[in-house]
Amino acid sequence: MAHREVLAEPGSRVVMLGNVAFARGALEYGVSFASAYPGTPSTEITEALSYASRILGGPYVEWSANEKVALEAAIGAALTGIPALASMKHVGVNVAADPLFSSAYMGVEGALVIVSADDPGMWSSQNEQDNRWYGIHAYIPVVEPAGPQEAKTAIIEAFKLSEKWKHPVILRTTTRVSHTRVIVEAGEIDIAKIKRKGTFVKNPEKYTLVPVHARRLREELVEKWEKISKDLSQNQVLNHAEGNPDSETLVVAIGLGYRYAKEILATHGLLDNVRLLKLSAPVPLPKSLLLNEAEGREKIIFIEEGDPVIETLSKALFYDHDIRAKIYGKGTGHLKKTGELELHRVEKLLAKALGLEKTYYNQSVIKPEIKLPPRPPVLCPGCPYRAVFYALRRAVGKARIRPIYNGDIGCYSLGVNPPFQMQDTIVEMGGSIGLANGMAHAQDDKVPIAIIGDSTFFHAGLPGLANAVYNRSPMLVVVLDNRTTAMTGHQPHPGIGVTARGVEGTELSIVDAAKGLGVEYVKVIDAFNIAEGEKEFYEAIEYVKKERKPALIVAKGACILLALAAGRRVGVYPVAYRVNDDKCTACGLCYKAFNCPAIYSKDDGKAYINELLCTGCGECAQICPFDAFEPVDEVPPEWLRLMREAKPS
Amino acid sequence: MKSLNIVLSGVGGQGIISLANVIANAVLESGGNVIVAETHGLSQRGGSVIVHVRIGDVEAPLIPPGNGDLMLSLDPIEAARYSVYLKKGSMIFVDNNITPPPLPGIKIPSLDEIVESLEKEGFDIIVVPAVDEAKKAGNPLGANIFLLGASYQTSILKEYIKEEAIIDAIRKNLKKPEKNIEVFKRGKKWAEERLTS
Repeated sequence: MAHREVLAEPGSRVVMLGNVAFARGALEYGVSFASAYPGTPSTEITEALSYASRILGGPYVEWSANEKVALEAAIGAALTGIPALASMKHVGVNVAADPLFSSAYMGVEGALVIVSADDPGMWSSQNEQDNRWYGIHAYIPVVEPAGPQEAKTAIIEAFKLSEKWKHPVILRTTTRVSHTRVIVEAGEIDIAKIKRKGTFVKNPEKYTLVPVHARRLREELVEKWEKISKDLSQNQVLNHAEGNPDSETLVVAIGLGYRYAKEILATHGLLDNVRLLKLSAPVPLPKSLLLNEAEGREKIIFIEEGDPVIETLSKALFYDHDIRAKIYGKGTGHLKKTGELELHRVEKLLAKALGLEKTYYNQSVIKPEIKLPPRPPVLCPGCPYRAVFYALRRAVGKARIRPIYNGDIGCYSLGVNPPFQMQDTIVEMGGSIGLANGMAHAQDDKVPIAIIGDSTFFHAGLPGLANAVYNRSPMLVVVLDNRTTAMTGHQPHPGIGVTARGVEGTELSIVDAAKGLGVEYVKVIDAFNIAEGEKEFYEAIEYVKKERKPALIVAKGACILLALAAGRRVGVYPVAYRVNDDKCTACGLCYKAFNCPAIYSKDDGKAYINELLCTGCGECAQICPFDAFEPVDEVPPEWLRLMREAKPS
Repeated sequence: MKSLNIVLSGVGGQGIISLANVIANAVLESGGNVIVAETHGLSQRGGSVIVHVRIGDVEAPLIPPGNGDLMLSLDPIEAARYSVYLKKGSMIFVDNNITPPPLPGIKIPSLDEIVESLEKEGFDIIVVPAVDEAKKAGNPLGANIFLLGASYQTSILKEYIKEEAIIDAIRKNLKKPEKNIEVFKRGKKWAEERLTS
């Protein structure tokens, strides 16, 4: 998506997603380099910068192969003296953790901000991980905006902090900051600044972390950390106290927690009664500010999204300084540790701590008695993965193996649901091939099937595959090549040949990569061709059984949403299918075993196609044993080509 | 402290986020404050969608359960699912078409069953033929805007958003703006006729 509002006129007030406000703030500061790997809830930051770069001719923006490379590239850019930004989701920081820790030792020349988009509540993630711990662990300051309202200001402050201390800074956002729209006032963008290039000045004592250098840098780092803590105590833009200075109660509201605290205190008319400490730069702990504000209070309440990070650090600090106030927070069990903050939960905490009798947000909840069916996300109508799962399952049956499906991160994770249930493990990016390596050697006579997407293959699949070839791990690797990073909204990747700036890149071949790594059995199939898939999967499984070596099949077919979008651009549209009632026997194969969301069962059990949802993929016509599906019109060959070759623009 | 909490619900792909964006821009045009919390990523693939729209003296992104003032929904099942976010007696404007979740062998409740169940809890349900009317107007994707038109006429939305601001927000933020303005007006007219009959 373009997110055009990122280039709103200076001085105008516009509705912006938190992530777009981050992008705007980075541009207003003058970011000259931005790298990222897509991941919810971080993606729109780089999408917006990509749009800006296409219009303004800067900054340099790239979708990197993975988060580690994205961060390394940003470190490299920052060492040349320009401001750089690396954006990723919380688990992406795990992938980038190695350079992250080193970057604190080296520092930077220009500025370096690393966006970590955490996902409390796990709306689109495998875990709930609070990356402020990384800041503490790696000695990297953390800026955490007080809601989307402060997103733009906070990222500008993060850059300033990085520039001032020549040190990387983590900007920690969360789903409700990144994916919440608020009104933002646009400032000036200096185009010359965002287009500027840097110059690397050699300084091996700083930039080569051999032990003799690292030992000295470690001493300097620990010393710098205390200085930054003092600085953050003085930073009035990010950290300040408001309300009654003489109150017996201090509410420490960190990041988005400030918005919850402020709304509840305002609703209860308590804004002038208690002391409210807003912390938008909580790491390193601004010790002198905290001690100043905590001194003499009877109660101290902590409100933070994620783990009780600041509460835990503060309690240790209070212990050292003989502050013995009663503490309320997640660490003391007054607020639930899991999931997201919500007004009623925070109100309950405040009501308990402050002895409030009336509550506004804890209303009685009405739950209708009717039993509702769940609605989990599903593979879209026309998704090539549905055809692949179907073909693979038939091949596995024919080969008479008891399969283990090592799944991965992407739309195909949805194969975990009925009717396919063909994801036995889902761990992390690239984990499919990695786990299959272990499954292959830890059991006798098994053929693990690793299922991995195209973008994920380039992200973290390559080392696992090298390992499988080297150690002769008998496994079938199925690369689902739908020509895009689909789940996060259709970003390009190394296999596409289009870059984030819209200029041509080099298109890498998955087949050549696999062959280059030494996989001897490599084939490409048409993902939409179920008969071909079944035959090729069967033969590949037989090869693995016999040779005890890895085989790899690339199932190529565009994400149907991408094909539809490409079609709209050139005026090519799919032709929907319909059911021939005379031929349909009501067997239910199409809506039960194949489970296309565009196919329903009628009262008599016969199939019926919702033409509004049908994408004309023709998969149903291939699986129906009675030839009951037919296109309502002649299918344009151009559409069949787009289904196979469409790619992101 | 004056605020309006609107729950938008439906199925991924129905235009719930676009609707939220039009409302938010209309609030901006009307000189108010607005916060819209959305769901992206995994949850949008044909899954159940809720968007929280908060207008007025508000700071935090999410509507707590039992605090919503109004719901616009493009699917009756999703309207019922997220009714826990509403105050007793709230108005629910819901399209009459059910999109059945594509799960093998599940029981789908009927529109009548859902409406009855919600009315029993004291909600004020207005079933709107938004998809059908938008199709008739030659704009099958305009159901979200028809629903906005229908609800604008009869709900507290009017106190927070000016009609010209909605027209302006549609013009600035949607593709085929004239067609969508037409659909908005038809929605308003539909509600007017329903009220007076």
